[in-house]
Amino acid sequence: MHVIFGAFPFMIDNVALLLTKTGDHLVISLIPLLAAIALGVPIGVWLGHAHRGEFLAVSVTNIGRALPSLALIAILIGFVGIGMLNAMIALFLLAFPPILSYAFQAVDSIDRDLTRAARGMGMSPGQVLLKVELPLGLPMIIAGIRTSAVLTVSSATIATIAGSGGLGDVILNQVAYGMEGVIAGAIWVAVLAILVDQAFALLLRVSAPAGVRQLQSANAM
Amino acid sequence: MTQHSTGTSITFDRATKTYPGAAAPALDALDLEVEAGELVCLVGPSGGGKTTALQLVNRLVDLTSGDIRIGDRSISDQSAIELRRTIGYAIQQSGLFPHYTVAHNIATVPTILGWDKERIRTRTAELLELVGLSPVETWLSRYPAQLSGGQQQRVGIARALAADPPVMLMDEPFGALDPITRVAVQDEFLAIHRAVGKTTLFVTHDIDEAIKMADRIAILKPGGKLAQFGTPSEVLSNPADDFVAEFLGSERGLKRLALTTVGEIVPGRSDRASAETAQWPDVEATMTLREALSVVSAARAEGAIVHKGGNRLGEVSLHDLIAPPVAVEDREGVRT
Amino acid sequence: MSDFAPAGDPVIPDYGQASDCVINNGAFCTDWFISQWSTVFWPPVLSHIVMVAIAVSIGFVIAFFAGLLAYRKKWLAGPIGMAATFLYTLPPLALFQLLVPFTGLSLLTVEIALVCFTLVIIFQAVLVGLSGVPDDVRRAATGMGLDRNQLLLKVELPLALPSIISGVRIATVLTVSIATIAAFVIDDGLGSPIIKAVSSPFNTQFVGAGALAVLLAFALDGLLVLLGRGLTPWTKVRN
Repeated sequence: MHVIFGAFPFMIDNVALLLTKTGDHLVISLIPLLAAIALGVPIGVWLGHAHRGEFLAVSVTNIGRALPSLALIAILIGFVGIGMLNAMIALFLLAFPPILSYAFQAVDSIDRDLTRAARGMGMSPGQVLLKVELPLGLPMIIAGIRTSAVLTVSSATIATIAGSGGLGDVILNQVAYGMEGVIAGAIWVAVLAILVDQAFALLLRVSAPAGVRQLQSANAM
Repeated sequence: MTQHSTGTSITFDRATKTYPGAAAPALDALDLEVEAGELVCLVGPSGGGKTTALQLVNRLVDLTSGDIRIGDRSISDQSAIELRRTIGYAIQQSGLFPHYTVAHNIATVPTILGWDKERIRTRTAELLELVGLSPVETWLSRYPAQLSGGQQQRVGIARALAADPPVMLMDEPFGALDPITRVAVQDEFLAIHRAVGKTTLFVTHDIDEAIKMADRIAILKPGGKLAQFGTPSEVLSNPADDFVAEFLGSERGLKRLALTTVGEIVPGRSDRASAETAQWPDVEATMTLREALSVVSAARAEGAIVHKGGNRLGEVSLHDLIAPPVAVEDREGVRT
Repeated sequence: MSDFAPAGDPVIPDYGQASDCVINNGAFCTDWFISQWSTVFWPPVLSHIVMVAIAVSIGFVIAFFAGLLAYRKKWLAGPIGMAATFLYTLPPLALFQLLVPFTGLSLLTVEIALVCFTLVIIFQAVLVGLSGVPDDVRRAATGMGLDRNQLLLKVELPLALPSIISGVRIATVLTVSIATIAAFVIDDGLGSPIIKAVSSPFNTQFVGAGALAVLLAFALDGLLVLLGRGLTPWTKVRN
């Protein structure tokens, strides 16, 4: 038990180290995440809007879920080599599938009566997308982003074996930092993952239209 | 049918239900005596407590005060579970179990009651015949998803009848069907009801359905009070108060005409001049007066010629149709 | 190939009598993969399957009863869901490391962590499945005189099966993937040849073990799909 408590003095004594590693960690996890959002959300939304590509979205999700992050990073060492780029490509590949499939589902699963009514009122396809599908699909799109965010931040820990830096350096280096350091790093990463998750949850709360928010609180357990 | 178990009476004795947190009762001191073998429709607007009244009987809802007796026995004298197994229950959307085949669905209560396999098999086949799903083998192993709405509802009724309960509760059973299927299933159910004589409480929000199906109609008004209880013809000719009159609607007079068929009032061949009747349209004896009136009106004629199976029974004049002799006044008399 | 490796130059197995592919450290050398199958790959596949099976079974039992409990006592759904989600949010490697001081570098550590990740998925699947039983079906069943246990066993659970099975599928696939990380704790499972190969970056070993992990996930998923079809014959009927 004393090891756990020992982790807290370690954190205090090594704030500078942990902050540097956290900086690296956020760089290697957030850049691929943002890239996955920039690519995955538009593609998913467009496919969902057109009600096409269900097979693609579903298979991407299944393959994505089955890809072990460790294997992916290891395989990329063979192709890209050691360093941050390797980690970022691997993390992008991990972050992309959930974002794509949630965005697809978010728009594809909207009640067809609603979109039909919108078209019946004379909205153009673009207006249907912007005024009906996106606002209603937003909660699920963000749920996908949250899933990917947690996945990326936590998988970035393993990326350290590819020499990418980040908090994994501390967690996987018991020789240098002792068990206290390992535990401190583990707690730190856990907190970081939860913070990132909550940050996106907050984004949803701020950005969702009032009606959608009401729906959500009505659906919450 | 192998059995002719007549039903058992249902007695509401100041039955009251107040839901927790509600200021006013949903059902307020209902007194109602449903005689053995009778089909009583509970009608009324939303908030009239008709579904509450029904669910009190099989204790899906518990009484706040008062009592309900089936035969001489209070429903609170036995466990809710035992009670329910002796009451047939059919609801809107059929409530069939999607993961059970038709045969398995019908066998649900008999299986729980421990009937042997052979008896269940015989009973299932008999019930499917009864509800018009034959040949039986075609339907036994289908799943509900493979049936149309009307077929599902028929299976739902067969399932409710499975353990030969003396009492049937039906909660808007035909509410989700399209108009044509609905009429067909109503007719079939009436025939079944006459054949098996179960005491039936039938909730509907559709007054026309109630007029068609019921021996007697109980009209409930908001606040769960009984506004009127009587035969369809009594209710239609003498509404107890403004609420009932309004609920029955401004076409009350026409609805009354739907209680009687042309065959029941046709006086027989008359000595009318053929010149007079030459332009009259033909109607079938099984048509209601209301339907016949519609045909006559469309033909702009003064009356109609009544046929039954190709034979000319006689003529009815416009006056016969809109002011029919005796028959409508006493419906029990009409039926026998 | 990178000009920088974490632990010196690639260590090529059987240098001298190996094929060109092995000597040049090609992306995937089939001959080497086949010749090393019984020593390098097959044992980790087996131990990986065992690890996943234990974790999913235990996770299923815990999450299933938690799901039932939350279904019966609605107010518990929130707290249980939140606790399970919290466990799920923890980075796997962090959770493994956090457990080591208590349970050591052991299979127990690995299984506790893996079970934690299956919980939220199966719990939600059970709860969603049970809550998704149509009201009219439940009302008809109650009205016919099924008691609480009969309602659960004959109606609610069978109807929740498709959702429960899809939860188990997701949990299984995910566990296959996370179990590779267990190699940081114990020398077992498909992560172990991967980590060993990192220090002597020999591609066939990464690629082979990584591909096996993916294939294993699909194979187990496929088995569960078949199991699901067998258990829920009513879901595939159409007119």
